[in-house]
Amino acid sequence: MGVMRIGHISIKVMDMAEALKHYQNVIGMKVTHTDAGGNVYLKCWDEWDKYSVILTPSNQAGFNHVAYKVTDDFALVRLAQKVRDYGIEVEELPAGTLPDCGRMVKFNMPSGHEMRLFAEKDILGTDVGSTNPDPWPDDMRGAGAHWLDHCLLVCEMDPERGVNTLVDNKHFFIKALNFFETEQVVVGPNGSIQIACFLSHSSKPHDIAFVAGPTSGLHHLSFFLDSWHDILKAADVMAKNRTRIDVAPTRHGITRGETIYFFDPSGNRNETFAGLGYQAQRDKPLITWTEDQVGRAIFYHTGSLVESFTTVYT
Amino acid sequence: MHAVLLAETSEEYLCGSAETLLAGMVRLGRKCIPVGCVNGGCGVCKVAIVKGSVRKCGPMSRVHVSEEEESQGVLLACRATPMSEIELKVIGKMKKIIW
Repeated sequence: MGVMRIGHISIKVMDMAEALKHYQNVIGMKVTHTDAGGNVYLKCWDEWDKYSVILTPSNQAGFNHVAYKVTDDFALVRLAQKVRDYGIEVEELPAGTLPDCGRMVKFNMPSGHEMRLFAEKDILGTDVGSTNPDPWPDDMRGAGAHWLDHCLLVCEMDPERGVNTLVDNKHFFIKALNFFETEQVVVGPNGSIQIACFLSHSSKPHDIAFVAGPTSGLHHLSFFLDSWHDILKAADVMAKNRTRIDVAPTRHGITRGETIYFFDPSGNRNETFAGLGYQAQRDKPLITWTEDQVGRAIFYHTGSLVESFTTVYT
Repeated sequence: MHAVLLAETSEEYLCGSAETLLAGMVRLGRKCIPVGCVNGGCGVCKVAIVKGSVRKCGPMSRVHVSEEEESQGVLLACRATPMSEIELKVIGKMKKIIW
């Protein structure tokens, strides 16, 4: 056994009141905890663990860490050792380091992003409960996002210095954490430079993804919706809230996902996306997007890149 | 309404006193200042105020504008509203993630 899914993401926000309005009224999350340091913990209606997003007050925007949940403590021990064997230092964090969360192992990805693994978190249950549940709760708000689905991280790449931490991350996630690659974007002579990587540890097209950039950072955190209809409604919610939309509703070539990109009040990019896409399996042939079709890979309908999508990140 | 002049290109637009320098430009469909997250986090709309005064209307990520820079009139166009005629210089730019 091993990694199950993304457990939570911790990000910096510059105005907590505005951030809370956004994650509650636009995404539809609920606050489940606030700690003494002013950090706020939120949960989507269809999640059962106590929180999937941690907002930390800061004078900056951007990424703190991402944590993935694993099946049990045996897996936590085994994976921590695999990370050490890979050559990456691991720090053990005792239970309660984060509220309502069991012990964690903490390490940095080759790209420098902080990652944690944990096996236990307090369970509140989904908003529809587990006994004869309704398909959705009466108090759904905003886009009514089901759950935090994945994040896309920008990984430092500098071809002139021979640095590609995206590829370094890929190898680490496959070898040490047992993820498998579902899609890649390659450019350059003979497609020899990989600039995007999509990895799964489930049957979803991606549980984490990486894209190359000048410095490491956060491209987006993503929330799951059911269908194209929900995407339209989410865009209406964003308009009502005067949310800055980055990319209006469209489809990705990569993952086949139906999507909207937008910014939270600190400039951290969010995504609401819908559709299973396809069933990712370890024996499914790797999908490759080539340099001449990069526009189509991200923006399937227009085939053109949206400038802010490929330049702006925190 | 205040005139906003870009020193280096001589482009000019009119910006309302209740809207940010960036929002005013976007409303008119102009492209002289890069448009990113429009929420103070990404830094692409970084400008230096050469003439005139502005009111800061929200937090700016210290990754992109330090306190020292801010004291020298450098700020993010998405976080400033004009209080007078403005002349500014664009510092930020859209630097492509390698796609």
